Amino acid sequence: MISVREIRKTYPGGGPGAAGSGRVRAVDGISFELRAGEVVGLLGPNGAGKSTTIRMITGYLGADGGSVHIDGFDAFRAPVKARRATGYLPEHAPLYPEMTPLGYLRYRARLCGRWGRSAGRLAEAAASRCGLSEMLKRRIGRLSKGYRQRVGLAAALVHEPRVLILDEPASGLDPVQIREMRALVRELAQDRTMLLSSHILDEVERTCDRVMVIARGKLRADGTPTELAERFGPSPRVVFQCKSDPSVLDPRATSSATGGGWNEGRLEPLQGEDPRGLAERIGATATKHGVALRELRIETATLEDAFIHLTDDAPQPRAKTPSGSRVLRALPEGSR
Amino acid sequence: MIGTMVIAIRELRSFFRLPVGWVVIALFVLLMGAGFSVAIIQPGQPATLRTLFGWGWWMMLVIAPAVSMRLLSEELRAGTIEPLATAPLGDLSIVLGKYLGGVLFLVCLLVPTAAYPIALHLLSDPAPDIGPILAGYLALLLSGLVYLAFGLVGSALTSSQTLAYLGSLLAIIGIWLLSTEVADRAPEWLAPWLVRLDVGKPVAQLARGEVTTTAIAGPLLGTIWLLCLAYVCLGWRRWR
Repeated sequence: MISVREIRKTYPGGGPGAAGSGRVRAVDGISFELRAGEVVGLLGPNGAGKSTTIRMITGYLGADGGSVHIDGFDAFRAPVKARRATGYLPEHAPLYPEMTPLGYLRYRARLCGRWGRSAGRLAEAAASRCGLSEMLKRRIGRLSKGYRQRVGLAAALVHEPRVLILDEPASGLDPVQIREMRALVRELAQDRTMLLSSHILDEVERTCDRVMVIARGKLRADGTPTELAERFGPSPRVVFQCKSDPSVLDPRATSSATGGGWNEGRLEPLQGEDPRGLAERIGATATKHGVALRELRIETATLEDAFIHLTDDAPQPRAKTPSGSRVLRALPEGSR
Repeated sequence: MIGTMVIAIRELRSFFRLPVGWVVIALFVLLMGAGFSVAIIQPGQPATLRTLFGWGWWMMLVIAPAVSMRLLSEELRAGTIEPLATAPLGDLSIVLGKYLGGVLFLVCLLVPTAAYPIALHLLSDPAPDIGPILAGYLALLLSGLVYLAFGLVGSALTSSQTLAYLGSLLAIIGIWLLSTEVADRAPEWLAPWLVRLDVGKPVAQLARGEVTTTAIAGPLLGTIWLLCLAYVCLGWRRWR
């Protein structure tokens, strides 16, 4: 549905990312494909090149090289046909504050070639889908940021496109609005192909089937959130808190004090060793030696670990900084 | 074509949604009215609006770039150019739609001034000749078209409305100086070319009631040339 091949973009300017002649490489040979019905997240830190990539796909910016095909149309040679198949929500959802949502949605439908009653019907349908039915006749300038974002989203899908491209749809929203926007995006994703850019990991992880991580203008990884976490995140490890020295439970355990006489032990399974079996062994040893155990869990890699690793300047095969965890068993204080 | 019309209608409506549109119309009509009562409706004066059209031309020089300064600058400033430029229409439709919106507003600006020739017709004896009056309105409209196009080029180049306005006003004054002061001192081979840049000359010719092909084609060609320039400037944004 979307095919991107080796797109490149440089901007004038110097700095660390500068290419020849003092130009900055914003996007450097990115290629990927989105199949029909896929929901793919474009993840990257600020300034990674996400918005530039999206702007080249939608035709807002010209590319220095490469090609983009949307729904079979060459987006550079037949931009109008490619744009007919695409709905686009730019970052911050720029709108005309003096218009009403209904007026704006009708205007967008007409711009996409829908005229007369059809424009009104499409505008009302898009508004209803985005939960705007109560706000149709208010001025956009008087709406909250969350509702303005919804108007932008409704405008992107008013002409019923098969492809939806959203650039930071939750940007600037409060936590409640982010949750509502996420639910709306998930609902819209059910019947269309969607490319969603964000730097909020949680948003992408909860919404997308597939994630592409982009950094310094290059595509660093492409896969499901679980695949990326397993491939680029740290190995699983057993973490426990006990009253004694953790080396009593396993001599390989590294130790750190957590206060109140409790120590935290961390233990990586040996190659081929099952972390669950290791955790059960720690539990059994604690019982056997009468050591108070407060917590026993297996830490597994998360998308965040993979993201930090991938957006690091010098990526290594596997990082060693665990942060996410899956609680295997939480034991009450003093239990054996 | 449909996209052009959709943009033009939205643009025209947006002029009337903001107070500035009404203020500009009121100011233009009031100043023209003041000119009409001071210079035209006087005992013994000939029943002609030529002086009024001269005033109107000066006002058009100031007002038309002010109307067009926001056409693209505001879109660039607010970021609304992004959804517009990624809609299924080309840059040419955007430029023409915006320009047409400005032209329609200029027409709305001129329509209330029709009260003055009607008043002149009712008050003067013998009644004024309708031909020169229509030619005068054509002159005002053509000068408006050119100055509006100047403003559109300025507007396509910057997100600041003030810069767009001052830039287009400077360009208009610069071209006027080129076609008059510089042309007088220019070599023989260059002078006729510079003189052709003068927008005021064909407009003045029309205002006198002399309707010729040159007087109409000159400003129209200038407008087309400037619209092409605005189109190039807007397209250039994709590669900045």
